[in-house]
Amino acid sequence: MPKITYRVGGDSTTVDAAVGTSLMQLALQNAVSGIVAECGGNAMCATCHVYVEDGPVDRLADVGAAEDEMLDCTMSPREPNSRLSCQIPMTDEIDGLVVRVADEQH
Amino acid sequence: MTTTAPATTICPRSDFDVYTDSALLDPWPGYRELRDAGPLVHLDRYGMFAATRYDTVSHVLRTPEVFPSGEGVMMNDEMNQVLRGNTLCSDGEAHDASRRVIARPLTPKALRPLHDEIRAEARGLVDRLTARGSFDAAGDLAHHLPVTIVSNLVGLPEEGRERMLVWASEMFNCFGPMNERTQRSLSVLGEMMEYATTQAVPGKLKPGSWAEAVHDAAARGEVDPGKCPVMMIDYMGPSLDTTIFAISSAVWLFAENPDQWDLVRENPSLVPSAINEVLRMEAPIQDFSRSVAVDHEIDGVLLPRGSRVIAFYGAGNRDERHYPDPDRFDVTRNPTDHLGFGAGPHACVGMNLARLEMRALFEALAEKVTRFEVQHSERALHNILRGFTRLDVTVH
Ligand code: FES
Repeated sequence: MPKITYRVGGDSTTVDAAVGTSLMQLALQNAVSGIVAECGGNAMCATCHVYVEDGPVDRLADVGAAEDEMLDCTMSPREPNSRLSCQIPMTDEIDGLVVRVADEQH
Repeated sequence: MTTTAPATTICPRSDFDVYTDSALLDPWPGYRELRDAGPLVHLDRYGMFAATRYDTVSHVLRTPEVFPSGEGVMMNDEMNQVLRGNTLCSDGEAHDASRRVIARPLTPKALRPLHDEIRAEARGLVDRLTARGSFDAAGDLAHHLPVTIVSNLVGLPEEGRERMLVWASEMFNCFGPMNERTQRSLSVLGEMMEYATTQAVPGKLKPGSWAEAVHDAAARGEVDPGKCPVMMIDYMGPSLDTTIFAISSAVWLFAENPDQWDLVRENPSLVPSAINEVLRMEAPIQDFSRSVAVDHEIDGVLLPRGSRVIAFYGAGNRDERHYPDPDRFDVTRNPTDHLGFGAGPHACVGMNLARLEMRALFEALAEKVTRFEVQHSERALHNILRGFTRLDVTVH
């Protein structure tokens, strides 16, 4: 089972992930704070913004067109490592990924 | 979602008619029956399959390789022909290209400058209506923001714009199977398409409007210019009625559940959560369909290639397999994953705007209104849309 670590402020939580969900759903299922996900994972709200900080970062699929457009709408500034967590599917490949939840989502 | 179950069971069948007057007015018992019958049920009357469980609906919407939209998302061939190639009825690259153009003014960032205007407009309206003490929550309250602000932003020429409400509603009626309701509405489509082709054109559109931006994008080569008329329909169809119905349903739910309105009044930060709950309980669009591109199995039931499956958002949203106690209106539930806006690549592109309009209204109402009392109500009798054509309320 792949493990994902979410950093929120000074805390960090590591959770086991079931393949087939998204990084956003996983965060909600585990009550990781700071992910709003208002649009339910449809790449429409930019309130599931995370920064990819560590782990198998190069295993992530590229930012898609819809995601790219929405990343321009994030409340916390967009950085080169910004992603929408709803657009990152859970796979064994990304076991050990560490992401920081953006401070401000709305 | 199991797509590799070894044994394929025969799909359950039902002769239940989802589109009778009584089923449309109160679809919930029928939806439950279909959900309990299986992950997919063959609707014998229509020769199509019904997806009514949350997981099945979500899977259908999120698996466009198997369930494309290019063959149309309506339930009759005539309509599937008419709208061919608009954003709703396209897949892959073509869909992405036109969706990008349509979505541009609807992203959270693009909408940010509108927040203040929409809030001020909502507040003024609520002040006027509450001062009267009673009003029609469908006509007076729900129409205002979509008709004054949104239709102005879309920017269609003045002549004919007042027909937009009629067109939108009749057009959605034609999404249904070829029943009497669909047949009656089909005539209006010609008028709508004619307008989209001859009136909604550069020179006649409001400068700087969304509709004009579609033509500009076509001129830059971002989308096929021949598609502009059907892309006008992307704005003309869904931008008004759906939000209007959602607003009226919300008022009705708050009137029926005063304890939930109390919670919102005490804590207005619950408004966004309450809006999600309204859209879960009373999805303004109840169902769209998809064609089936390849033989496909869902939880052991085989869906044959070439068939059509109707995805019932309203039924998935009330599936107790996904939402505990699904018929209870609970403003604290915050079901962000509801299917009221669809899901997947075709999820409603106007959802941010719809939320913004609803939020502005209900935040203003929460300050002014302690109770809604329904005096008289008339539900829309419509193949696809759910909401009220009239909802007379008294407010305290
Ligand atoms: S949940 Fe809305 S963009 Fe990710």
